[in-house]
Amino acid sequence: MIRAPLRADASVLENEAMGAANRRLRLLVPGFEGFEPGQFAMLSPGAVGGALRFDPLLPRPMAIYRASSGSAGAEVEILYKVSGRGTALLAQARPGEQIRFVGPLGRPFPDLRSDRVALLVGGGTGVASLYELAVRGARLRAGAVRVLLGAKSARDLMGHADFSSLAVAVDVSTEDGSLGERGLVTEPLARWLADEPASDVYACGPTAMMRAAAALALRFGRRCFVSLENPMACGFGVCLGCAAPRRDGGFALVCRDGPVFDATIVDWERLA
Amino acid sequence: MSVDTSVDLGGLRLRNPVLTASGTFGYGAEFAPFLDLRRLGGIVSKSLTLEPRSGNLPHRIAEAHAGMLNAIGLENVGVDAFIREKIPALAAEVVIVASVFGREIDEYAQACERLSESPRVAGLEVNASCPHVRSGGIEFGQNPQLLASLVRAVRRASAKPLLVKLSPNVTSIAEMAKVCEAEGADAISLINTLQALDVDLETRRPKLRNGLGGLSGPAILPVALRMVWQASRAVSIPVCGIGGIMTAEDAVKFLVCGATAVQVGTASYLNPAAAGEIADGMVDWASRRGVSRLADLIGTLQPWS
Ligand SMILES: Cc1cc2nc3c(=O)[nH]c(=O)nc-3n(C[C@H](O)[C@H](O)[C@H](O)COP(=O)(O)OP(=O)(O)OC[C@H]3O[C@@H](n4cnc5c(N)ncnc54)[C@H](O)[C@@H]3O)c2cc1C
Ligand SMILES: Cc1cc2nc3c(=O)[nH]c(=O)nc-3n(C[C@H](O)[C@H](O)[C@H](O)COP(=O)(O)O)c2cc1C
Ligand code: FES
Repeated sequence: MIRAPLRADASVLENEAMGAANRRLRLLVPGFEGFEPGQFAMLSPGAVGGALRFDPLLPRPMAIYRASSGSAGAEVEILYKVSGRGTALLAQARPGEQIRFVGPLGRPFPDLRSDRVALLVGGGTGVASLYELAVRGARLRAGAVRVLLGAKSARDLMGHADFSSLAVAVDVSTEDGSLGERGLVTEPLARWLADEPASDVYACGPTAMMRAAAALALRFGRRCFVSLENPMACGFGVCLGCAAPRRDGGFALVCRDGPVFDATIVDWERLA
Repeated sequence: MSVDTSVDLGGLRLRNPVLTASGTFGYGAEFAPFLDLRRLGGIVSKSLTLEPRSGNLPHRIAEAHAGMLNAIGLENVGVDAFIREKIPALAAEVVIVASVFGREIDEYAQACERLSESPRVAGLEVNASCPHVRSGGIEFGQNPQLLASLVRAVRRASAKPLLVKLSPNVTSIAEMAKVCEAEGADAISLINTLQALDVDLETRRPKLRNGLGGLSGPAILPVALRMVWQASRAVSIPVCGIGGIMTAEDAVKFLVCGATAVQVGTASYLNPAAAGEIADGMVDWASRRGVSRLADLIGTLQPWS
């Protein structure tokens, strides 16, 4: 069920470092009623409360990692990497402070099919978009999903402990070989596509990774869904800033028509 | 204390002076989950062309210090789809201003004519920041003769309240404002985005695929105030102030500098309820200071003697 988005002043419950530049943010979001796998929120640090600040200006799109209803209202969890001015400001938000939250936004991953194995391929921060899908897959039946996580190094890997505690198989690839297999996550993906004829691909990560995953899926004749990461200003379809080129020549809005797309409709050549 | 918030913007009777800026508010209905549009003075649509159009390749936006750059292109659903699909989604009490764009003067005029046929369109805003291809890509709003021909043509095409939205990328905004007044515009809106460039140092390419883009957001507010002040002193038609408004105090500043109404733009991206909050905040601001009519604030800037 796709719920209407809401705008809320969310209270920071926890904002902890997770190793390397990765952090976990736990928010209390009044009125939040749930989300679907692959949906995201726009977070504006510094925009609520005492001394308003408008620099950095734009809200940051972040996948909703996990949500639960706690005693005081809905809790929403975000896994993020400090990579620039906005996420650096976000990292300074202390428990009790408020940030603006708009979500859930976007169209989610399609439901997992009971007769297929879902290969969930996550690279870098893209891992966060796949967690809820893995949770649902674990509930569906044993062996419904296989998770392939990739990162630069063991320290950079996001969400590994959470994925590992689910009843799903998790393979790890790191570029420096500090955990799991050495190399890119697309290498085990190619093997699983060959071994598991009844499989679909669900990918989120750097564009180069998704492009490679989409090409592999196409070569093996499998369905592939990707969750694109374009810069966004609004997150709900009004600025037209997040457009991704479609193979048919037009554009799709990543925030409204995606972020999840069937990889075959994306014009990978013209995508920035 | 109750505050009279109504204003008359060139024949547009508005319940309060806060509208939303073209291109930052979609077609209105997108904001329904966040904001009751009836709380606003009005909404201005994304700029519309006669035929639907597609936009630029990504990246179309980039953040700047206290602002953002955009080069969206002409992307819009077109005049007919706006009338057929977008307008019916808006409650009858919502004041709709249709923003119009074109490559040629004739295209502007035809779009204005079509939009004027809809009883729901309360007024038109002509976006003069469109490059005129035959004049080597100069914006209509950058050349007084081109601007005069444009305003004359759209004035003939429609009897509805006519706002002309000026480009800030000019030497004398007062001169452009006078051209609009002389050709029969009912009001002027300013400013559109400031022409800008930013660079990705890794690739040494412009951050935007289009190369140049337009700067908006709080970074441009003082420039916009300056231009609103200069334009409002040059003409007797009302001015709608736009540029970097984030708070009610920002909006009040525009009134003080001579604007009759304002438009909230980029702020709606960070906070989809911004325009409504700014309208409410202006009432609070006024009532705390014993101002009983927002219109009494217009043009009250006290220059240093
Ligand atoms: C749908 C979606 C879900 C995402 N989920 C997550 C997540 O769960 N965890 C996480 O760490 N990151 C996620 N990202 C990426 C995240 O939005 C960027 O890392 C973040 O915006 C960078 O901001 P900054 O202040 O660190 O960088 P800056 O360099 O200061 O950013 C400048 C501008 O570019 C934009 N930008 C920069 N990098 C990206 C990027 N990779 N994607 C989109 N916009 C970018 C910023 O939003 C900002 O507008 C997601 C992106 C999208 C589109
Ligand atoms: C992404 C984006 C798209 C815009 N599209 C239009 C448009 O279609 N027509 C128009 O007249 N102005 C357009 N504008 C300009 C705004 O209406 C406004 O004049 C400008 O952004 C300054 O106000 P602000 O600082 O409050 O955003 C656009 C601005 C942005 C940021
Ligand atoms: S981010 Fe504004 S339209 Fe997608």
